[in-house]
Amino acid sequence: RWRADGRALRKLPVHVGLVVTEEEPSYADMASLVVWCMAVGISYVSVYDHNGIFKRNNSRLMDEILKQQQELIGLDCSKYTVEFANQDKTGQVLNCQSTLKVLSPEDGKADIVKAAQNFCQLVAQQQRTHTDLDVNVLNNLLSSTNGFPDPDLVLKFGPVDSTLGFLPWHIRLTEIISLPSHINISYEEFFSALHHYAACEQRWGK
Amino acid sequence: MSWIREGELTIIERFCANIIKAGPMPKHVAFIMDGNRRYAQKCHVERQQGHSQGFDKLAQTLRWCLNLGIQEVTVYAFSIENFKRSKEEVDGLMDLARQKFSRLLEEQENLKKHGVCIRVLGDLPLLPLDVQELIAQAVLATRNYNKCFLNVCFAYTSRHEISNAVREMAWGVEQGLLKPSDVSESLLDKCLYTNNSPDPDLLIRTSGEVRLSDFLLWQTSHSCLVFQSVLWPEYSFWNLCEAILRFQMNYGALQKARDSYMEERRRQQMERDQDYVTRKLQQEGCASHGDSRRQRNLLQKCTAMREERIQGFLQALEHKRADFFERLCTVSA
Repeated sequence: RWRADGRALRKLPVHVGLVVTEEEPSYADMASLVVWCMAVGISYVSVYDHNGIFKRNNSRLMDEILKQQQELIGLDCSKYTVEFANQDKTGQVLNCQSTLKVLSPEDGKADIVKAAQNFCQLVAQQQRTHTDLDVNVLNNLLSSTNGFPDPDLVLKFGPVDSTLGFLPWHIRLTEIISLPSHINISYEEFFSALHHYAACEQRWGK
Repeated sequence: MSWIREGELTIIERFCANIIKAGPMPKHVAFIMDGNRRYAQKCHVERQQGHSQGFDKLAQTLRWCLNLGIQEVTVYAFSIENFKRSKEEVDGLMDLARQKFSRLLEEQENLKKHGVCIRVLGDLPLLPLDVQELIAQAVLATRNYNKCFLNVCFAYTSRHEISNAVREMAWGVEQGLLKPSDVSESLLDKCLYTNNSPDPDLLIRTSGEVRLSDFLLWQTSHSCLVFQSVLWPEYSFWNLCEAILRFQMNYGALQKARDSYMEERRRQQMERDQDYVTRKLQQEGCASHGDSRRQRNLLQKCTAMREERIQGFLQALEHKRADFFERLCTVSA
């Protein structure tokens, strides 16, 4: 029924960033959110907190996600796969085509700086000149979100009105929808945020 | 003065201002002035009128900011993406710019009196040459004023700005002024168009849209973001106060997040430097590479040399930029 919910929306984001601004993240609730995203048909999901807690405790989050997947999708298990980008664990089952990334501040500005250093190294070795670098070249040098498109939507949880360093380069056109908390979040609250997103009108500068 | 409305706050406004000023105040506020065209539609007037009213609202908002003691304001006036609009609209906006910058140059006495420093940030060569010349004159005329600062983003996108900053660092390496290992977050900060300003404390976007649209992405990573549904030409003093209150509610959490981010950044830089020093001493075959005094001395020396290179590079960059404006002024002279 989740897939039907997803199809009922006027538009569904391709990549959703789940950004937690609360100090104490909840693995169970984040896992639910990830599983709902995938069930509804969102292809790319990223999880972020500015202290890097989820990243450091990656495997705990993965375990929780697999558990939730079983519970929530249970009988329908065969239809959904979770592929964990850059993780050691591979989710079970076939089909779904959703990918997850767990990010932290080092994937933001620090990644841009790394790309800049690499480019400057090439310049020092006279393999490039400074005029070779434009927006597209720099974009292709970034590695924190390899294979992921830019986020269409950020769901921001918690009282802080800031992205707290989440992928500054990539969020240039991202819709930012705030929810009060990820703790004990319900599917209805999650879905209503997706609904809100579907109503946003993008003019692309025109 | 056309760019900053004359006038003081009303009694009620002053009363509220005093209450707000009892709490922390933003020193630098950024505005995405969105909603001019929807306002025009709503009032059944031409789009051009909407933009013109938008400018008037900017002048009024700057006055409110000054009254509240907010000394620096950055606005998103024209995005590189906006070139995609109809020729008619783009020409209209360029005409508005010509009109407003010319007016500004006629009011030099007032600018001097209020000490307003005007900066225009963006990929200026994309603009018509005469507009570039007017901008150059305005920027050079006010560059030494320092009572308040108005940064106008024109022909700007954040990704272009960041790419430009990286290109400048690469230029520095090409010129032999920098080593690739000198590239860091703080150096990139200093190569952005906004390098003379602190990061905005507060970013306000009007008209109900909840995205950043390629504006100050790097600089606002830890800023308070306030999205308000009012259309820009209808912005009021109360809307501004509301945004500042949101800033005050976020103040503690944002300070904490910013501090811990800077601390982590400093720690990582220190780690990189220590590693470099350790490796260097090992390479030189120093039997005493574990000697902490040797390590400290080499660390100090490397840091000092890097600082020197960076200062030299930043001076060259400053020179290049001043040169660009000066050359535009001599063209029109």
